[in-house]
Amino acid sequence: MDNKKSQNDNTIDRREFFRKTAAASVAAVAGTSVLSSDAMADDPAIMHHVPWGQKWGDPVTKNRYGMPSKYEHNVTRRNTKLLASGNFQASIAVTPIHESMGIITPNGLFFSRSHGGVAHVDPNMYRLMIHGLVEKPIVLTLEELKRYPSVTRTHFIECPANGGQEWRGPQYNSIQFAKGFMSCAEWTGVYVKDILADLGLKPEAKWMLTEGSDNSEMGRTVPIDKVLDDAMIVWGQNGEALRPEQGYPVRLLLPGWEGNLCVKWLKRLEFSDEPWYCKEETSKYTALKPTGKAIQHFYANEVNSTVTSPSPEIDWSNLKDGDIVEIEGLAWSGMGTITGVDLSFDGGKTYVEAKLKGLVLPKCWTRWSYIHTYKKGEKLLLTSRAMDDAGYIQPTIDQEVSVMGVESVYHRNAVETWEVTETGKVNHVQMRTPGGVKNA
Amino acid sequence: MLKLNTRFMAGASVVAAVLLMAGCTQNSAEPKETKVAAKATIDGGVAYPVVNDKMGPYYVNPQVAAVAPKINNGRIPTANELKAWDKDIQAGGKGLPEGSGSVEEGEELYEAKCVMCHGDFGSGGGGYPALSKGNAYELQKTLTNNRWHDPEADGPTRVFGSYWPQASTLWWYIRDGMPHPKSKTLTDDEVYALTAYILNINEMEIDGEEIDDEFVLDREKFARIKMPNVDGFEPKIDGPDGLENVRNYYANPKNFGAIKVKPSERCMTGCQEETVEVVRIQGAGISDFMPPMSVVRDAPEEKKEEKIDPKEVYNNTCAMCHSGYLSPGSAEWKPFVAEGMETVYKKAIEGTPNGMPAKGGTDLSDANFKLVVDYVVNGK
Ligand code: HEC
Ligand code: HEC
Repeated sequence: MDNKKSQNDNTIDRREFFRKTAAASVAAVAGTSVLSSDAMADDPAIMHHVPWGQKWGDPVTKNRYGMPSKYEHNVTRRNTKLLASGNFQASIAVTPIHESMGIITPNGLFFSRSHGGVAHVDPNMYRLMIHGLVEKPIVLTLEELKRYPSVTRTHFIECPANGGQEWRGPQYNSIQFAKGFMSCAEWTGVYVKDILADLGLKPEAKWMLTEGSDNSEMGRTVPIDKVLDDAMIVWGQNGEALRPEQGYPVRLLLPGWEGNLCVKWLKRLEFSDEPWYCKEETSKYTALKPTGKAIQHFYANEVNSTVTSPSPEIDWSNLKDGDIVEIEGLAWSGMGTITGVDLSFDGGKTYVEAKLKGLVLPKCWTRWSYIHTYKKGEKLLLTSRAMDDAGYIQPTIDQEVSVMGVESVYHRNAVETWEVTETGKVNHVQMRTPGGVKNA
Repeated sequence: MLKLNTRFMAGASVVAAVLLMAGCTQNSAEPKETKVAAKATIDGGVAYPVVNDKMGPYYVNPQVAAVAPKINNGRIPTANELKAWDKDIQAGGKGLPEGSGSVEEGEELYEAKCVMCHGDFGSGGGGYPALSKGNAYELQKTLTNNRWHDPEADGPTRVFGSYWPQASTLWWYIRDGMPHPKSKTLTDDEVYALTAYILNINEMEIDGEEIDDEFVLDREKFARIKMPNVDGFEPKIDGPDGLENVRNYYANPKNFGAIKVKPSERCMTGCQEETVEVVRIQGAGISDFMPPMSVVRDAPEEKKEEKIDPKEVYNNTCAMCHSGYLSPGSAEWKPFVAEGMETVYKKAIEGTPNGMPAKGGTDLSDANFKLVVDYVVNGK
């Protein structure tokens, strides 16, 4: 009896199987499947020996420091004149987010921002001075600094002007420029608090000046809370020394906070009972509100997300009807860990839950994904919205603008939208009330 | 749990405060639900204290906290070393050296070392920041301008005089960061003079005294400068309550345009105003990307010596400085050429202390750059 039943089940399974297979072959005949067909021409990439298969490759002695394939030459940082204060020493080159995979940015593609050009520091002449309201001031060589017990953490660094050109409307039909003022890497260094354990911080110390040794002598003020929490002095980036563009040999890393605060080419930390007023925390990196007051000391980059695939750069114009595609994106928060991402197909009116994938770490890029079956000719407005464990959720543009106005330049984290047109092209658009919401 | 030596105990109250803030209390019998901070963190975010040798998802070697107070790396700096590096200037001019300089001297210096980038009377241009846009007190009133209703309206004017909260920033930054191509080359007196000149072109006063051409700025007068927008910033960071003000500020998401919500209560339908529209990029938007955007995977062109058009390079990079003075083919080149073209090439390639950046800020080959020099000097 049991035996019979199982046989029966088996038959149903087999019948079901053949039925499905038949359906698939019908689709194949309709020309929408990859199943082989004699009508198709043979692919020369398969039918002939390829040139690299028939001759010697490079000896292992070539490229002692490896380089990407020459075919990847379009995967580079890019810049524009608008993002230069007159010259390309006070400027930014941004990361090709549309080409990035996983949660790590390769060092050569890490966004590069400087205020007096990229400095080339001789590590033998490198000194770090820590002084002010400490019992014992010190000066360290690079070797002495690296002798501290190290910690390794994966964090994004984001310029708070990421998206800052688009408060009044979209400007860049490009994810590299709309969202690429950020990158993510694994950093190695020492906690500032571990060094302070020996130096002895005086109780009246409230603020730390962090100063770079570059042409601009970049300075910023850091509150003691962060110094004693997770502030790091780092020398390692993705398993090798920091790149000059990221502050070789040593930078400050304040996980989750404005990239500008993570001072590069670090030379000096001083503790005081009163804050400093550096150029980059007064003239710039302050967010002017409609009240006429500006937020100073705006530290953390708030919860944010973007769709990375499709993007204006790599769109869906090659998709066929019925293709199954992964809509993919990044989410990040400088205030905690990503807890969820929602995806909208109608510009943020209604949402469905997307799935997180891979490692989900604090103050780190987090990948999310949603599987979609593409309908030829469909028009979509793809909007993602992230949440973090501090309880924050991305605002709509109307919500953010009603508090911040459109002049604040920094810390824009409202949801952003890609329009997918009927031909599969992708355009950067914004969903907002023209002129702002009433009573704002 | 806290392993601190007596030396570090000096800062222990702060440490304890930080840990408390993160909801990490010692020997607490409370359930481990510590997501909601007991006290506001400084940035409004979550802190991840070390619990069971883990900080969030990361393992931490617990031996380190025990030995950290005894790691005696480095050495104490000498008094001269401290003096050489500890030169920052704080609010009110705390840290300023002795010295003085007049508006008149400042104007002369400005014309020699700054005008090529910052423009006549600090008007800016070509992307370089303006140092003045007129009367500081009048322009401070533009800070409530906001272009959300009317994109064509006047925006706020944010320059030194109208926006900056402290003058100390100006003095400090000019000494350490300017002139841009060759920073840290000005004497203290020169920095006083340039600061005086910039106060002058912003039409500022000190204690009701107009800053005219004869005005001489020194340390004592500097301490009395009151910037028009000194009260224009929030939260207040000065004084004994500075840190607490910041914590309170970020405890309220409304202050900075953020939104907090329970995940189960977040909006899933009807999440936009009825009035939203699809707003598109105006015209072509910004697309002067360098290098041009491409996602093609082809073999790159072989790197030959790139052919350049000297006139185009001039227009794109040299013209921002070489248009009024030392323009292509102008007679002002005579004394330069008199030193021999080899010298001119060499100086232009290496840059000069008077404002010529190395290779004019380009990364051209020597040969190509010389073609551009020939064009700028001869006008053809
Ligand atoms: C080669 C061009 C160049 C020259 C010459 C130059 N600067 Fe600058 N200056 C800049 C750039 C570029 C910036 C912006 C730097 C940044 O983005 O951090 C700047 C910024 C400034 C600022 C801050 C402006 C603001 O609103 O943030 C001041 C003040 C200043 N310069 C003063 C001077 C003075 C005084 C001189 C002459 C001694 C001078 N500069 C010479 C290029 C120049
Ligand atoms: C930021 C402003 C600036 C830019 C950009 C700039 N120059 Fe100059 N240049 C100057 C100034 C100022 C001088 C005068 C320097 C002096 O008197 O020592 C100068 C001097 C020169 C000289 C004479 C050097 C000598 O002392 O004999 C040459 C040649 C020259 N520039 C060529 C160029 C070319 C070519 C470019 C563009 C590729 C360029 N410059 C871009 C500011 C600039």
